Amino acid sequence: MIARAGRPSAHALALAAVAILLLASAALLPLEGPPLALLACPFRAATGLPCPGCGFTRAFHFAVRGRFAEAVAFSPLGTLVALACGIHAIWTALRLAGLPYAPRLEDARGARWAVAIALVANWIFVLLQGRP
Amino acid sequence: MLEGAVLARCPSCRNTFSTDRPGRQDCPVCGKPLVVPEPPAAVPAAGLDAVSEPAGTPWERRAQLGFFTAWLQTLQQAVLEPGKLFASARLDKGAAQLGFAVLNTSVFWALGQILERPLLIGQREQLRQLLEGMSDNPDVGPVVRRILEAQLQASSQSWVVALTLLTPVFTFVLLYVNAAVTHGIALLLGQAKRGFPATFAACAYACAPLVLLAVPACGSIVGLIWLVALTAVGMKVTHRISAAGAAASVLVPYFVLCCLMFAALGTLTLALRRAVGEP
Repeated sequence: MIARAGRPSAHALALAAVAILLLASAALLPLEGPPLALLACPFRAATGLPCPGCGFTRAFHFAVRGRFAEAVAFSPLGTLVALACGIHAIWTALRLAGLPYAPRLEDARGARWAVAIALVANWIFVLLQGRP
Repeated sequence: MLEGAVLARCPSCRNTFSTDRPGRQDCPVCGKPLVVPEPPAAVPAAGLDAVSEPAGTPWERRAQLGFFTAWLQTLQQAVLEPGKLFASARLDKGAAQLGFAVLNTSVFWALGQILERPLLIGQREQLRQLLEGMSDNPDVGPVVRRILEAQLQASSQSWVVALTLLTPVFTFVLLYVNAAVTHGIALLLGQAKRGFPATFAACAYACAPLVLLAVPACGSIVGLIWLVALTAVGMKVTHRISAAGAAASVLVPYFVLCCLMFAALGTLTLALRRAVGEP
């Protein structure tokens, strides 16, 4: 939902800064190679399966370069988070410039279930992809 | 004495009547004895304000208390009376809370690195010998070897300086990522009753035990476990939710963050390797 709002709060500004830092890191660093982590993922080491967050970094890497098909192939959720980071940063800049509207999260039971199902669906997708 | 007449109801005849004094008396309708209770004490307006708007933690009142006293009292409350600390946190003081977390973590991490160098010099030498000894051993897993190599590399002087300079930035990013993920899970579980600032206050003041980063070896592990426990206490108090709801909101993200942390570490390694010109 979009609602009328004043100037962005300190938290909104800080979150925008964090979003820009994350997107800038993904744009500057070569994150597409397989050995991303210093150590093996403990979840994969224990179970042999990818964890729910698997593919996030590479999804960010491809999303900031506009290669959305590849980003989604690694992690649909990671792609969505990267897009959310970009949208939040741009929206905050617009609010600083005087836009009197802001997205408002509705705390509805249906929305909570939808998000939970989306998280599980993303994990199933990553499991089925079976990437290293 | 009651200030003006009030309406009372007789428990025997159920009729209401007007009276201007509390205590034992007879019903003017049926004549049976009854007791009119004292009205609740009137709460002054200033008192009401104090309940709805907390005074602020010592850190949020550092202008009055002084920087060092405020920091020390906040730390003391976080460790000994966390409920009191989180209950007094003001949700409009996000910048102060961010400052506390970044300062606390950065200063004590840097201090820990300085103390660790002379104290753990023997351990590093042992690690170096171990690494040399097993370089030809095919039985040693590549993961173990990478752990040891990374530990050796991270203790070099250039790395310590680079990490010390970058710690405030990393603390800032990780604090917000942690708060955002914790808040997301709390929303998902229907536990986010008072918005993001309440979650942020819990996550920021939960960084207080990170003073233990200054203690070489075991300090960081104890500090991080304490941080998780304190975040749960903070969520319970700031959002006014149950202990189980708070524990679930806090522990689920750590499962997810665990994976993200490894990715962040990898990114950091890569960035620093490039910065020092290593392949």
